[in-house]
Amino acid sequence: MADSDDEYIGSSGDERGKRASNSRKQKGAGDAGKERWEEIQRSWDNVVEGADGSISAAVVGLLEQNKRKRLLKDTTPLQRGIIRHLVLVLDLSIAMEEKDFRPTRFLLQLSHACDFIKEYFEQNPISQLCVIGMCDGLAKRISDMSGNPVEHISAIRKLRANGVEPKGSPSLQNALDMARGCLWNSPTHGTKEVLIVFGALHTCDPGDIHMTIKAMVQDKIEVRIVGLAAQVAVCSELVKKTNSGSLAGYGVAMDEKHFRDLLMANTTPPPTRQANTNASTLLTMGFPSRFSNPGHPTLCACHSNPITSGYMCPRCMARVCALPTSCPACSLTLILSTHLARSYHHLFPLANWVEVARHDVKKRSPKLCFSCERPFPKLAALPPSSTVAATGDLATKRTSNAPVPGVKAVPSISSTGRYACLDCGKWFCVDCDIFCHEEVYNCPGCEADPEGKEKRQREKEALAAKETAQTGQSSAAQGDAMEIDG
Amino acid sequence: MDRVDATEHFAQHAQGDLPSLLVLIIDINPIPWTTNPLSTALPFNTALSNLLLFLNAHLAFSHTNKVAVIAAAAPRGGGAKILYPAAELPTDTKGRPQSRPPQPAPQPGEPNKYRPFKDLEEGVLAGLGKVLASVNEEDDGTDRTVVSETRIAGALTLALAYINRLAGAGADNLGQTLTKGTGTTEAGTMQSRILVVSVAGDVASEYVPVMNCVFAAQKKHIPIDVCKVAGNSVFLQQAADATGGVYMKLDAPNGFLQYLMMAYLPDPAARQHLVLPTQANVDFRAACFCHKKVVDVGYVCSICLSIFCTVPPDNICMTCQTKLAHTVGGMVVRKKKKKKAGTATGSGAGTPTVGTPRP
Repeated sequence: MADSDDEYIGSSGDERGKRASNSRKQKGAGDAGKERWEEIQRSWDNVVEGADGSISAAVVGLLEQNKRKRLLKDTTPLQRGIIRHLVLVLDLSIAMEEKDFRPTRFLLQLSHACDFIKEYFEQNPISQLCVIGMCDGLAKRISDMSGNPVEHISAIRKLRANGVEPKGSPSLQNALDMARGCLWNSPTHGTKEVLIVFGALHTCDPGDIHMTIKAMVQDKIEVRIVGLAAQVAVCSELVKKTNSGSLAGYGVAMDEKHFRDLLMANTTPPPTRQANTNASTLLTMGFPSRFSNPGHPTLCACHSNPITSGYMCPRCMARVCALPTSCPACSLTLILSTHLARSYHHLFPLANWVEVARHDVKKRSPKLCFSCERPFPKLAALPPSSTVAATGDLATKRTSNAPVPGVKAVPSISSTGRYACLDCGKWFCVDCDIFCHEEVYNCPGCEADPEGKEKRQREKEALAAKETAQTGQSSAAQGDAMEIDG
Repeated sequence: MDRVDATEHFAQHAQGDLPSLLVLIIDINPIPWTTNPLSTALPFNTALSNLLLFLNAHLAFSHTNKVAVIAAAAPRGGGAKILYPAAELPTDTKGRPQSRPPQPAPQPGEPNKYRPFKDLEEGVLAGLGKVLASVNEEDDGTDRTVVSETRIAGALTLALAYINRLAGAGADNLGQTLTKGTGTTEAGTMQSRILVVSVAGDVASEYVPVMNCVFAAQKKHIPIDVCKVAGNSVFLQQAADATGGVYMKLDAPNGFLQYLMMAYLPDPAARQHLVLPTQANVDFRAACFCHKKVVDVGYVCSICLSIFCTVPPDNICMTCQTKLAHTVGGMVVRKKKKKKAGTATGSGAGTPTVGTPRP
């Protein structure tokens, strides 16, 4: 124990003090000598009075900014590990009794874990998950590796129903070792990940945790941690080493919502790192057909429950009651094509839309959101563009008509409340922007008006051709030697 | 007899409070509507009047119920368009709507018609007329050979965006919008559903967008009902199955109105008490990407999830060009991966293998 927890100083009672000092450590490097509590942001400083003395315009702008903040995803299509194997490690130690997250850290963790599991299987239908708890210096298996969300959620609910109380110290090393064991025989084509919720500020280990970290690196297991109290050195080292030097997977929650966001960020399949590449393989999968014979129930091969409708393995004709699963008789992976389709939006993300600049809004330009037909706000009713200086460079990008691939939209409010898709050129309101990027993953303009999109594509190409011709001509004029034959 | 008491009445009231939104997607592809078995059994104008009757019935249930109508067209036959309600144009400074088309003179013959019915009828007919006119007018030299498949993804996306707008409209004031987290737009303010009246087949290239719509609808608990008047559509079958909607292929299209009234009129709250038509056999078979052959045991690329019916030549995935190892045959072959943009960050250094010195 003594050799691994160099961060642990006093009793867990002084966590508050440690948190403050740690957060200072994090921030301190950037702004010379200024304490965190000295930088005060007054919310009323952001509000600019409109011409008529009201602040409604500014409020609308702030609301939009708030909504838009969530959309700053990188939309470069990356290769992602679609087939995931993840071990979720929950902290069941005494530190989780703290009430700084309402109602307690422990209860909030359990409810967020259930939401996480639901969302995880929604986003990654052909992936597997397993839940481990850390308490009393031990790692305890809560649910086994499986692809069925119901099993995990009921196991977590059972924890609560059985009156399990958080107690003892957590042991990172034991949890990591058990996680490694769980991931040991997972196939090479999938990712191996561990996600830890860590509420304590110390770990109580039987051996050298650095050896375990080394083993994790060798096994190509990526570890990500959501801290609840403060940053802990051994955690950041663990994350850094297992993620090829990137600390992006380690976050410390500031409040309940942030905690949830940090957890939910892990539902998106991780981009494949070169250092961590596993062999990609061709998987044999079965696409079963559904059978139903009402009135004549048969036993399913997976749970031995009587069922009247279910799916039949195409290879061995065993009957299973739910998909996706692997056939209990011949261990063929059984899925529906819809499960595969669910992952496609990770592979082909919808490109970000850009803000429409003020001077692009002309008299004849659209007055309604293309998809929901909500009228756009009038320019006069919007806050002056001085409050939104950041739109400038995007505006120039747009007017030059050159769609920059994977434009990273600067976090700014649109001065016009209009957002444009670069492919189809249609304009949308901020609500549709969020809805399309977070839930539908389709552009309504590109889907509803494919001809308009093609037309725009052609125009773009023509424009590009013209430009190159012009530059060619000008260079010809300068050189005065080149002849363009007609 | 003594079971008939007042409690039922109260229960009905409590459920009826939630307004119900019905988004109707009409397939206006001209080819199936004008080919013979359907054109004699159910001409388009009869179908349209039946649909209007059906929508009126929905509106008549409660004055808070709402209706939207969207047209879906064939590729190159005009895009998807919201027909009803007509877009509300922003008013100018004097409160006058900007460039509103001249209002049609009130019909003298029907002074007693219920106003919402009349608005709906006029709105849908006007919208449909406009769409058809625009398709006929527009002649920009594009190939207008109309095919017998219909693009449905655009209409579905529009329907979802419209539902999202109405569902979110209740929480429009400041406080609620601020606290509203990701994806928690209250669907509780309105019960929505989508009904697709489809006469044509699928456009194969639309698989991913349609499926995206289906999953979004599933997440928001919006059932997609499908009334298949003619033709066959695997995508819509899967859509109805995944979202818990009703899928029905009409055996006798001339009884269109009855089908609509019996199977599609009850809203989701009422449906749990009814026995509705179910699909016995949903087509879940996957077609392979290489030969478009329907397979039941196939090979799937672990990177891009493409489906193949046989091991592709040289073990190279045809979609993402990755060299794949086929694990059944023994050794896993290491491959040289294409370097992708973005992955380079943080991966260049690799992982240090030397442990940190112990204290």
